[in-house]
Amino acid sequence: MPNLYKPDLMEVIGVRQHTPDVKSVRLRFQDADRAREFRFQVGQFGIFSAFGAGEATFNICSSSNWHDYIEFCFRRVGRVTEALWGANVGDTLGFRGPYGHGYPTDEWRGKNLIFLGGGIAMPPIRCAIWYALENRRDYGDITIVYGARTVSDLVFVDELDEWARHPGVRVIRCVDPGGETPGWNGEIGFVPTVFERARVPAGGAVSLVIGPPIMIKNTIPVLDRMGARMADVYTSLENRMKCGVGKCGRCNAGPAYVCKEGPVFTFEELRAMPVDY
Amino acid sequence: MTREQLRQLVAEWLAAGKAVIGPVRVKPGTVLYTRLASADALLLGGWVRPANSIKEAVFPRHEVLYSYRVEGNGIELVDPAEEAREQIVIGAHPCDAAAWPILDKLFDWDYRDEQYHRRRAATTVVTMACTEHDEHCFCTSVGLGPEAERGSDAMLVEGGGEFQVRTLTEKGGALFAGCASAGGTACATTATTVAALFDPQRVAGFAREHFDDPFWRQHALACLGCGACAYTCPVCHCFDIVDEGNARGGVRARNWDACQFPMFTLHASGHNPRHAQGDRQRQRIYHKFYLYPEKFGEILCTGCGNCARNCPAGLGVLPLVSEIRDAEPVQA
Repeated sequence: MPNLYKPDLMEVIGVRQHTPDVKSVRLRFQDADRAREFRFQVGQFGIFSAFGAGEATFNICSSSNWHDYIEFCFRRVGRVTEALWGANVGDTLGFRGPYGHGYPTDEWRGKNLIFLGGGIAMPPIRCAIWYALENRRDYGDITIVYGARTVSDLVFVDELDEWARHPGVRVIRCVDPGGETPGWNGEIGFVPTVFERARVPAGGAVSLVIGPPIMIKNTIPVLDRMGARMADVYTSLENRMKCGVGKCGRCNAGPAYVCKEGPVFTFEELRAMPVDY
Repeated sequence: MTREQLRQLVAEWLAAGKAVIGPVRVKPGTVLYTRLASADALLLGGWVRPANSIKEAVFPRHEVLYSYRVEGNGIELVDPAEEAREQIVIGAHPCDAAAWPILDKLFDWDYRDEQYHRRRAATTVVTMACTEHDEHCFCTSVGLGPEAERGSDAMLVEGGGEFQVRTLTEKGGALFAGCASAGGTACATTATTVAALFDPQRVAGFAREHFDDPFWRQHALACLGCGACAYTCPVCHCFDIVDEGNARGGVRARNWDACQFPMFTLHASGHNPRHAQGDRQRQRIYHKFYLYPEKFGEILCTGCGNCARNCPAGLGVLPLVSEIRDAEPVQA
């Protein structure tokens, strides 16, 4: 029987540096059969590893329509990410997954989509944005509000421009007050404020809100005021994990195993749970 | 079966190359479940319960999941050698044996943990009905008891200076095949009587309804966060996965972990969902009495009392229950 904890071996086929401390890495399965059969749902996560340093949990931030590689994005912040930071094209990394439940993109069909992201939270939104754009006829208008502390903290900036060129897509960039540069032509302000100013019709839309706890906390009342149903507002929890498969006990958030029942939850679900995330 | 006959049987198992685990006095005042070097080391009475549990026989405190070797850009992963070795646990208490069927459900939850199940299949558990208990024991409050047979392949019941053998499974039967006293289920017993002290539903309800209550911080003031409760618990099973080695080669290993450590839930961002010890004490109780029963229909506690028995600060499930009682008196 297979060893549950043994990862797939992945070849690094691309590395992009987004900010002084954020990179994304593209990986291809070394095993050709596994590469061919691998499928996932946007919103699912993986356990990525650098051998000798350890494993860490990240969203698979590429679209599930891309079959040549998977991608993940991380901030250099500890032992494992320091080792991942050093990965170059041709190196071998480990991957386990896909784990958890992704976004219910089928249920989102026919609706307008609102993506609200802060800082390093763009990757788990990015996969859903690409997925929606690649299935453009299935979804209505798309609004993307993405903010970071400073201009240099924004990630996937070139893709923001690309998304904005699609018909029916509105991209609003913002940085915290003081985080702007002289040439900045985006908004200045926090994501919830900028979003409210933009007067996006939220009633009947599906929203995906991912970011630091304070951003989420302040965005939810805005969505509420703008007429969003909490059952249509999604987020992805980031509880620390080790196994990813409901064994190690680390990711419990109130009554849920985030790795198995999440990481995607609606705010209707979260409001019924104690705050343990 | 007399004590001598039992010891002789254990000596035969050892001689046949089986690994035998049983209670051993490792130093004055300390009894632990340990691999027996000889049948003489087996302690057949005179203790309430060892300071550890038998879980390490199937869920070791340190375990290599696989090893890795680096050659240039490439990596080779190697599974650990399969442990097919037959193990026998003898002299376990019912509160130890009952833990395994409870844990089976988690280790088989959609994703099957083969390492765990392989050891489980290769292990036979012979329990000894309890003839003594202490102020920490509360098995009957969580649906078990000094003679509870759950998880046991055979049970030894002391009576008239001898052991009656109750064989409960095929595995247990095979172990005692040919013993005159084997078989049968009804025999005289000198098992102790443990009073039921609380209703586990009430603990579950308290943990759920008082999630953010200052009660937990007050309760946890004495907690050192040492994790002794989790390590000596028969059912606590949280673990960490770490690399041991360097960029040329090494192993990825699983080690026991405990929810009482602040690092357990610490995010890379610095955010910690359970930043206070009270949050972590609550998690331990909430997981055992509410979350696990909700998910698996089992209380994640066998009432062994090891948490309180081993706690340097006098905490544990039973002390907590009396605090709950004070905090939330039952309405007349």
